Amino acid sequence: MGRTAPTYRQALEARMSRWEEFARLLTTPEERAAFETLRSGARRYVTPATHVGSPDLLETILLSVLLDMARRLRELEGKPPVR
Amino acid sequence: MPAPPALRGWLLDVDEPPDGRGVRMWVRRPDGSTRVTAVEFARPFYVEAPADERARLARRIADDGRAASVAPVVRRLRWDDPRPVRALAVTPRRATDRLPLARSVDAFGRYYRYRLYNVDRPLASEFYRARRLYPFAPLTGPPEAPVALEPADRIDYRPMPLRVAELSVRAGDGPREAVVPDDAPIREIRLGDERMDGPEEPLLRALAERLAREDPDLLLTDGGDGFDVPRLYARARAHGLGPDRFHLGRIPGGERPFRGARAFASYGRIYHRPAAYRAPGRFHIDRATSFLYDDVGLAGLIDAARLSRLPFETVARQSPGTVFTALEIETALDAGAAVPWKKNRPEGFRTAEHLVRADRGGVIFQPPVGIHDAVDEFDFVSLFPHLMVRHNLSADRLDCRCCPASPHVAPGLGYRFCARRPGLLPRTLRPLIARRRALRRSAGRTDRSPEARASDRARAKMLKWILVTAFGYQGYRNARFGRIEVHEAINAFARELLAEVARAADRAGYRVLHGIVDSLWLSIDPAAPTPDPERWASELGAAVDLPLGYEGRYRWIAFLPSVRTGVGVPNRFFGRYASGEYKIRGIGSRRHDTPDYLRHVEREILALFARAPDAARVLAERPRALARADLFAAELKSGGVDPHRLLIAHRFGHAPTSETPFTDAVAAARQRPDAPGVRYVVADRANASWRRRVRVLGVEPIEGPYDVGVYLGLLARTVATLLAPLGVTEAELVERWAIDPAPRAAAFASPQRPGQTTLLPPPGPVIRPGRL
Repeated sequence: MGRTAPTYRQALEARMSRWEEFARLLTTPEERAAFETLRSGARRYVTPATHVGSPDLLETILLSVLLDMARRLRELEGKPPVR
Repeated sequence: MPAPPALRGWLLDVDEPPDGRGVRMWVRRPDGSTRVTAVEFARPFYVEAPADERARLARRIADDGRAASVAPVVRRLRWDDPRPVRALAVTPRRATDRLPLARSVDAFGRYYRYRLYNVDRPLASEFYRARRLYPFAPLTGPPEAPVALEPADRIDYRPMPLRVAELSVRAGDGPREAVVPDDAPIREIRLGDERMDGPEEPLLRALAERLAREDPDLLLTDGGDGFDVPRLYARARAHGLGPDRFHLGRIPGGERPFRGARAFASYGRIYHRPAAYRAPGRFHIDRATSFLYDDVGLAGLIDAARLSRLPFETVARQSPGTVFTALEIETALDAGAAVPWKKNRPEGFRTAEHLVRADRGGVIFQPPVGIHDAVDEFDFVSLFPHLMVRHNLSADRLDCRCCPASPHVAPGLGYRFCARRPGLLPRTLRPLIARRRALRRSAGRTDRSPEARASDRARAKMLKWILVTAFGYQGYRNARFGRIEVHEAINAFARELLAEVARAADRAGYRVLHGIVDSLWLSIDPAAPTPDPERWASELGAAVDLPLGYEGRYRWIAFLPSVRTGVGVPNRFFGRYASGEYKIRGIGSRRHDTPDYLRHVEREILALFARAPDAARVLAERPRALARADLFAAELKSGGVDPHRLLIAHRFGHAPTSETPFTDAVAAARQRPDAPGVRYVVADRANASWRRRVRVLGVEPIEGPYDVGVYLGLLARTVATLLAPLGVTEAELVERWAIDPAPRAAAFASPQRPGQTTLLPPPGPVIRPGRL
């Protein structure tokens, strides 16, 4: 309400709908599923991404996606949970 | 020891007579009678003008017939600068001249050259302050110069005995909410416990007599501004009963509204407020327009009036923000400053990068959709007010010259706040925080009477509202003492704090499940030792030097998805505390527009989970929950549900145009074109006639068949929202109940949720340009 700058969540969703145009021409279900993984990775880290307050939206989205990848990689490597 | 001075009465109210000369004091005497005294009283306003214009301006004002006097003064005016300035003190002849005269002066300075002060404060507030009085003060001393027996901020005062009477009127033959023609006679009047009926003219006379005899201090109506009061005066006039012979106040003068009807927007909704009527000598509170009355009651309103020196009716009719501003004004005046009329202080220029960094709210940890076991909830008590006090967050202490090394620097933003002198905002807030804490403590004391404890709770709640607005007003462009940097700084400190607390929770063996600004929902890690939540909260609270409270442990809690995207959304959950109490947020039961029947459905389904000790057992209730939902679907299909329980409430944003899609709400609006909102039952959505499509409460009786498909659809949505964590989807229910997938909608009808403002664009993703 009355905000000047869109919130990270709003900016992310706007960018995601742009990415949707990209996904539309992906032809195999595997590619589409992989693309969905990417998008949910971006959405997974909205809290820390908001905390960054970076003016570079793409940097923050890519950081979120990469972190999600790294997290999955750890799981695939069979590393135990940190505690 | 000398005897305490005798109580001579209570100060009921101070108001302004219509001729604008001085004020009137309404005093309730110990024998129960009320006496009014006219008092000469006038206050100057101040004009700060450039030195070379001052003399010319003074002459010009002196020549204006509306000014009684104009005199040069040297005094402090600015709230953020203690140095005295040269200015003109202008005293208007009459109170009614005050605003027009100030406007002329402002216009003469082309709206930017002069700064005006103390223009628009209520004269009553000025009077209270000048005489060291306050609303409802117990009095002693001579009638013309009474003295308050106790300070306004005393906590355990004996409230003044107020006589309260409810007033309502029924006109015409239909139910109360029916549309009645303007000339329909009044058939029945209720005043307090008394119900009067009969022919109209004697009825109106009987009311006048009864009012004079019972002599209530407060008339309580439900929609009186919009209906009862103007109707009474209009009907009295029709019988030749002028204001002298028929009036609701202690004296005539309430027959005309003191404020006209208007529409206003708040948080994306448009509201209509009817013209407002006073009853001079008494108070009139319309529960339909008083947001605060139902919430904090008389005790809370009286307390706020005492503290803020605002007239009681202003407190009752306005928002807590008005009270907060008045409290800030009191603090500024205590310091010798004056009240700026207009803010006249634009935001400074800033880079886009800075804006993106600064213009952010609190931290939100998005909850994972689903049902979770054993969750502890923690809340910071009055977090924002505490942060403002702790870090001296106040516009007048921003980037001060005296402490370049101040530790109070907003994280990530660099705004620095003075470490030596407390600012206006912390000075205003500190006593309020302390008062709220004291009231909450005494509300919990079992040795006090239930009434006294209820009053403490109500007063604490009023203070809570005031404290909440204290934050919001910092970002409000018209807040006189606010500045956006303070608003941003509060958020920055709160974000830093929550990040710190989340890390501490992790170290303690918790996992952060959900968090909103000042609250955290932490799940217990089964592999780690369980922390003692009470001790953890108090230790962590001590470490960050802010009061962290433990709300309790949930046996289980279900976080619900967004209807639109399916991802978890903040503040949409239901859960059951270990104490057995439910906590429900953001579902239909909490919304005012939900049909009663669907509320009932939600309650019934939630009741199924009442005995579930953990998340697994909630999940195991899935078949039973679906079976219960099937019963409701069958009941709806049978057509046997009382249509009154299917009423959908809807408020209008603006009148429908030819472009507006023909929805249920539009069909309802056509039937009650003047109403700000309607309640209706969908009778037949496919019907192209707006009369047959919906039945509107107050236009025709609510009976006959309803549109089964529409209500099954609403039922499916309600049940799917509630059972989403159990894996139930809306599509599944639509199939299960064989709901017509394409509703037989009339042309251009759009599907809608209850209460959705269909006249505005339907909610969709907010498309904004990406960040820079």
